[in-house]
Amino acid sequence: MLAENLLLLLAVLPFLGAISAVTMPVTARNAEVALAGSVMVAGLLALAALFGDVTAGQVVSRTLSWAPSLGLDVTLRLDGFSWLMLLLVYGIGLLVVIYARYYLAPSDPVPRFYGFLLAFAGSMVGVLIAGNIILMVVFWELTSLFSFLLIGYWHQNAGARDGARTALVVTSAGGIALLAAMVLLGQAVGSYQLDDVLRSGDLVRSHPWYLWILGLFLLGAFTKSAQFPFHFWLPNAMAAPTPVSAYLHSATMVKAGVFLLVRFSPVLGATDAWFWIVAGTGMVTLVIGAVIATWRNDLKGLLAYSTISHLGLITALAGMGSGAAIVAAIFHIMNHAVFKASLFMGAGIIDHETGTRDLRKLSGLRHAMPRTALLAIVAAAAMAGVPLLNGFLSKEMFFAEAADWHNGTWLDRWLPYIATFASVFSVAYSLRFIAAVFFGPLATDLPKEPHEPPAWMRRPVEFLVAIVLVVGFWPEALIGAILQSGVLAVLGGTAPDYSLALWHGFNTPLKMSIAALVLGTLFYFLFSRRLSQANEAPGFLSLLRGQQIFDRLMLVVTRKWPVFLSRVAGSNRLQVQLRLVVLLSLAAASWTLWGAARLVPQGIWDGFDPGFALLWVAGIACAIGAAALAKYHRFAALALLGGAGLVTAMTFSWFSAPDLAVTQLLVEVITTVLLLLGLRWLPKRLQEIESDRRLPARARRAIDLVIASACGAGVAAIAFAVMTVPPGLSIGDWFRRNAYAEGGGTNAVNVILVDFRAFDTLGEITVLGIVALTCYALLRRFRPAPESVALPSQQTFNELPPIDPEREREAATEPTRHDLMMMIPAVIMQWMFPLSVAIAAYLFLRGHDLPGGGFAAGVAFAIGLLLQYLATDVRWIESRITILPVRWIGLGLMIAAGTGMGAFLFGYPFLTAHAQYVELPLIGPVPAATALAFDLGVFAVVVGSTVLMQIAIAHQSLRSARLRARETAEVADPADAAEERENRIEEQEHQQEGA
Amino acid sequence: MTPPPHIIVLPILIPLIAGAIMLMYDERQRRLKLGLGILACVLQLGVAIALILRAGGSSELGRNIVTLYLLGDWPSPFGIVLVLDRLSALMLLLTSVVALPALIYAGAGWHRNGQHFNALFQFLLMGINGSFLTGDLFNLFVFFEVMLAASYGLLLHGSGRVRVGAGLHYIAVNLLAAMLFLLGVALIYGTTGTLNMADLATRIPHLSEADRPMIHAAAALLSGAFLIKAAMWPLCFWLPNAYGAAAPPVGAVFSLLTKVGAYVIIRLGLLLFGPVAGESAGFGAQVLALGGMATMAYGSLGVLAAQDLGRMTGNLVLVSSGTLLAVVGLAMIYDDAPMLTGALYYMFASTLGLAALFLLAEPIGRKEEGIAGLLAVTAEIYGLDPEEEEDEPRQEGTAIPGATALLGMSFLACVLVVAGLPPLAGFLGKFGMLSSAVQRAWSLPGMWGHWAFVVLLILSGFCTLIALMRWGIQSLWANSDEPPLPVMEALPILMLVGTVGLLTVQAEPALRYIDRTAEALTENAVYIGGVMTAPPVSPEALAPEPLTPEPPPAAAPAPDASGADPAADSPQAQAELP
Amino acid sequence: MMELTLSLGMGVLVASGVWLAMRPRTFQVIVGLCLLSYGVNLFIFAMGRLVTGAAPIMPKGGFVNPDAYADPVPQALVLTAIVIGFATTALFLVVIMAARGFTGTDHVDGKEREQ
Repeated sequence: MLAENLLLLLAVLPFLGAISAVTMPVTARNAEVALAGSVMVAGLLALAALFGDVTAGQVVSRTLSWAPSLGLDVTLRLDGFSWLMLLLVYGIGLLVVIYARYYLAPSDPVPRFYGFLLAFAGSMVGVLIAGNIILMVVFWELTSLFSFLLIGYWHQNAGARDGARTALVVTSAGGIALLAAMVLLGQAVGSYQLDDVLRSGDLVRSHPWYLWILGLFLLGAFTKSAQFPFHFWLPNAMAAPTPVSAYLHSATMVKAGVFLLVRFSPVLGATDAWFWIVAGTGMVTLVIGAVIATWRNDLKGLLAYSTISHLGLITALAGMGSGAAIVAAIFHIMNHAVFKASLFMGAGIIDHETGTRDLRKLSGLRHAMPRTALLAIVAAAAMAGVPLLNGFLSKEMFFAEAADWHNGTWLDRWLPYIATFASVFSVAYSLRFIAAVFFGPLATDLPKEPHEPPAWMRRPVEFLVAIVLVVGFWPEALIGAILQSGVLAVLGGTAPDYSLALWHGFNTPLKMSIAALVLGTLFYFLFSRRLSQANEAPGFLSLLRGQQIFDRLMLVVTRKWPVFLSRVAGSNRLQVQLRLVVLLSLAAASWTLWGAARLVPQGIWDGFDPGFALLWVAGIACAIGAAALAKYHRFAALALLGGAGLVTAMTFSWFSAPDLAVTQLLVEVITTVLLLLGLRWLPKRLQEIESDRRLPARARRAIDLVIASACGAGVAAIAFAVMTVPPGLSIGDWFRRNAYAEGGGTNAVNVILVDFRAFDTLGEITVLGIVALTCYALLRRFRPAPESVALPSQQTFNELPPIDPEREREAATEPTRHDLMMMIPAVIMQWMFPLSVAIAAYLFLRGHDLPGGGFAAGVAFAIGLLLQYLATDVRWIESRITILPVRWIGLGLMIAAGTGMGAFLFGYPFLTAHAQYVELPLIGPVPAATALAFDLGVFAVVVGSTVLMQIAIAHQSLRSARLRARETAEVADPADAAEERENRIEEQEHQQEGA
Repeated sequence: MTPPPHIIVLPILIPLIAGAIMLMYDERQRRLKLGLGILACVLQLGVAIALILRAGGSSELGRNIVTLYLLGDWPSPFGIVLVLDRLSALMLLLTSVVALPALIYAGAGWHRNGQHFNALFQFLLMGINGSFLTGDLFNLFVFFEVMLAASYGLLLHGSGRVRVGAGLHYIAVNLLAAMLFLLGVALIYGTTGTLNMADLATRIPHLSEADRPMIHAAAALLSGAFLIKAAMWPLCFWLPNAYGAAAPPVGAVFSLLTKVGAYVIIRLGLLLFGPVAGESAGFGAQVLALGGMATMAYGSLGVLAAQDLGRMTGNLVLVSSGTLLAVVGLAMIYDDAPMLTGALYYMFASTLGLAALFLLAEPIGRKEEGIAGLLAVTAEIYGLDPEEEEDEPRQEGTAIPGATALLGMSFLACVLVVAGLPPLAGFLGKFGMLSSAVQRAWSLPGMWGHWAFVVLLILSGFCTLIALMRWGIQSLWANSDEPPLPVMEALPILMLVGTVGLLTVQAEPALRYIDRTAEALTENAVYIGGVMTAPPVSPEALAPEPLTPEPPPAAAPAPDASGADPAADSPQAQAELP
Repeated sequence: MMELTLSLGMGVLVASGVWLAMRPRTFQVIVGLCLLSYGVNLFIFAMGRLVTGAAPIMPKGGFVNPDAYADPVPQALVLTAIVIGFATTALFLVVIMAARGFTGTDHVDGKEREQ
């Protein structure tokens, strides 16, 4: 149980540390270090405690439930291999934490740095001990994310931003591929648990999806481990602070890819595809990395490419996949981590103390910083594979593998030579690193005066170099057990027996090492001049600039093409969109109705009514006329539109639907008036737009005509088809039967509206209210187009309204000449106002039993007001009748809803009605149903809304009058004139609307 | 007699009453209105949670507990009925979870940039909630209109050339959609004589050969209307413009509107044309699947092509709803609940992320090029309107320290959620879809539908990541000045991100609930039964006559007859992807 | 025959409405939408079948023979549809006014189509 908890601790601790780290104040440098350091130490202690279990070959695991229904749980699983990797994460993590304390400048915000660093450590740990392959991908993506954030730590300089972006895109693309691979793998195996997957290698290798799985899996691994051709992100990632490079980009994160390769080699490995792709990529990367590294002038660039090359070496070993190869791979993972981390730290020290990383500037530093020089030399020697250092041992193993690998192809003979060739260059660049930086005369023109770093900045390097030496001398003693348990964890029973002895006799691998060392040294001393002149890479390799290709690709694929394609596949023009809507619905309808028996007219040809036919002849004429004239003769079109509406209303009444007729008629009036009021604000169109004459315009119209006619025909056909068959069982019958019995009204339609389906009505009046509010809100901000501010010709003889409000109120009482002009109609309409109120009341009260109702009443009332607006001056009305339309709306809604909620008290659902009659003089029995109260609400909302809209639109003439007035008054400084003009208009409107 | 469950009608009544009360006050008392609105939103959140518990019931049994509410106490299917089941409860919760932060954000200043913002906001919620609850086709139309009318108002809120231009298109398209809706509903009534969804579902299997094409045509017209709301390509071009132009808090709530369209598609599609729908089974599923995938592709392209975060988010809305539609289509064809589970969970999470992105666009953009960029859309107004100028959004509240860090982290979280990358909730949803899609593809070899979907799902996520990261690096890293971030703006963003976090940690309960939801959707007998046998409160309420006719012999599908009639065997033809 | 006449009328209303809706000028679009809504309202109405000369008012009490009266449901729907149609039309009108004010043109895209 203790072991399981320690495992959990290992996974959780770094994240907790990260959270507390980011919440610390920016200045708390030492506190941050203490925190991060103690996290790392705690991790190491936990590992030490777990050592016994692990070397005993048992697997510690712990499961927390996350989303079991997806087969995704937090399963942690620790075995020898992951233990060994964890040792690197925590061990080197500790050193890096200490190192960074001295590396970072006081100005750098440390909380972010340590927060991200710890979070990364946590994610890395997660990748290593995830016992569920999907969980592994989760942490995998997190490592990419935090690496991105750490590379962009100094996001002020563009290099960091670009490096971060590149790294993120490449690695997370790999991560997504890996996710796909894991999903396929899990489905193929039937479980996402790592143990199950590791057990079912044969099943997977014989699965039809194998190649897909392998391809996607390798994409993930190669991008992470910077294998060719995805290697280019790693050099750019060197824009990160050096501790980050040392930790993420040499020791841990880039090892995740090869970790995955080694871990899954028992499942996916041992096939030809695996060998050729993995070993091939590894070899290519090994060579290219080594060669390019030799040519780099940037210290960190050199190390970056050497890292790529060493990762290639490990990949190649994983590709060979034999037991010994796996041993070598694991061993080299550790060794490389140790010496490369120390080298990066050394490079960081040099950079930190001299201010440059350019090999061409640096020289002779051994005089200035002898200790650092010594350390760096040892580490570099290990990198070169000099005997008695740890690098030598694993490299020997690699050579041994390369020498006696056989699969009966041409590779058998060439593999040793390729390996040697690559390591010739690794010797060369190691040598260059040492010689160029530390030997020769002390450089004089350095940005800083070089000297030894603070002791604690050097301690981590010293520690690592010590390991390099000790492992080099007594490998078995120090890491024999660790390596053994790691190998067993991966290979299980099939682990080969190997020896970590220094001396295997004068055998092929040794010869290869010696050859590499000699040739490498030779190469360097022959070409060292050329190297520094050449441009970062030998001629043939300088051609393939991964970064540039990548950038160009990104630009084209993720910017140019999308812009083009989305322009092709979409449109911002309204006509196109409406046409699409129409066409698609037309297509859908005709597709479904194709050859439907119903549409063949078996209609009834009796009962021809000339009157009705005539009516519709008129209606059709109106419709077509409106369509034809709407562009150039708006007024005529409006009149014709009204005609069409009239015909519609008459049709309703013809077929015994008086309610509809009344409502349609009233709405007709209001709509027309509103349109009339609005018409004034549209541009005059006297002469024809000449482009309309042109062919494309004509063609568009013709095409649309075809489409439209098709729609019309379709609707007509469907309507006819439905009308000519008797209705089946319909809920309508029930309403007809129960309108009076249940609803307590004899006008079934109205009963439905206020009782059976009162909920619809509630929504409907809400819509009305909302729309009114919107119109009002929008017109508050209305800016008429310049040319329509001018008075319409009919009023040009009317004098300009006075400017300031006081005089306006007087002016409101005395008739303007505009009123004189409209005198007669004005008087008539004023007399009609009470009448329309009476009509409204009548319509309202009889609604439940006879045609009428709240809506009709409301509209009638509103029309009464509207006529006043038309006939007389707006100010004249508002000085006499003051309406607060917005409150009418709110009140109406509350009445309606309140009536509905009254039913709650009696334990009935919302809107349950109660009906009974009361006798009123003159009007007779009036249904005092709760429905009546509801209808009252409807009435209020309708009045409020319609009036509000009218006011909103009618006021535009008022405002534009003021605009005119003020523009003439204040041509002096239009700037602030505009402002206080608005002020006054606003406040006046507040008075007038009272809202 | 047991009292009716009034709580079901509250999600509609609370915003209605709140909005109505607001109208009684002078427009200048904005703080009061804001407080009222926030109160109403909190209440709705509480109600939504209560409803979730109710619908989930003792969810270990996995029953889909359907609760009915007969408005006016009229027996179903004659009166209008509200239906609460797992799905509608889920959607109500989503609505209230998004609405509250959006309103708080608006309280930071946007609610002052025009008239009646708070009232319109409440009415919008009323429309959305109503659409989720109603079980009646025409009532659905009414609530759609309530929702749309309010959305017009909110989209135009703040006015300005860009908004009015976008609003013009938005309104025109939606008016046309309303016409389609009416045609469809009317045709359904004319053919089957009912408006109640469940009642309709019981009738569809027994339709006569003559009527079936009519119903299909009606369904086609209706789905045209719904797909415009759900923004399926090629009916979606208005969306990025409109959402991009809207004020940030408005955009945040708008991220719900497409979900309403998608909800109706899910509800009606699986209710009317689910596997039990006889000859009509799987009607139009193919169109949904293909259209959904096309939408995903188009949205992803749009994200990459867009320049500013507003438009990007608009296109992300397309991706999210396209994903949902595609899954529904596939689910209708192969009736598999697991994919639907993943899709609904992803829908929930991504909507939260999208809303947060809409909100984030403003403060980050402010950092980018100052207030000028933010208010470019309303510049001409600001030249003229002193009342507005006094209270610009950013004047409010005290800027919190470390604003950039906060914004950056929230932005990162949103990117992860929306792109469906680990470790947040979006990933769980996408992974759910992926794994069940792959499973399906394995069990039905030769069908490329699932594979295409898998590829699109992965690619769309990757495009999202690239585009948003590109933008984020530019605007968060390239310049290092501290933007002013009022608490009133930070709080809602954190609320949304926090909800995502909760959804991630508490994934299992959520997933189990949604899983049951998907199951309930795929076999809908419970729903129909629940609706058709709902007893009114009043004892004297007459029992409804049996309205479902026995299948007439003509309708009994003889194989040869159905083979002869192209209209009749079209369902089978649609039942599999080519 | 009446059915035929009405269908034809409906068809023409819808056709001219759709045609106008697809035109470039805002006023054309709004007129088109009005015509379209007439057509649609008639369509809804027609779904209740046509009944001529029936009393719209039910007797109080007693058995009611449904076939003697027009189907009230479509009428109720039409009433709602009319109102909502009116509201949205008004809104659209205001929006095109505003759009014209901002853009100076009455083209639906806010800018004249470049030829």
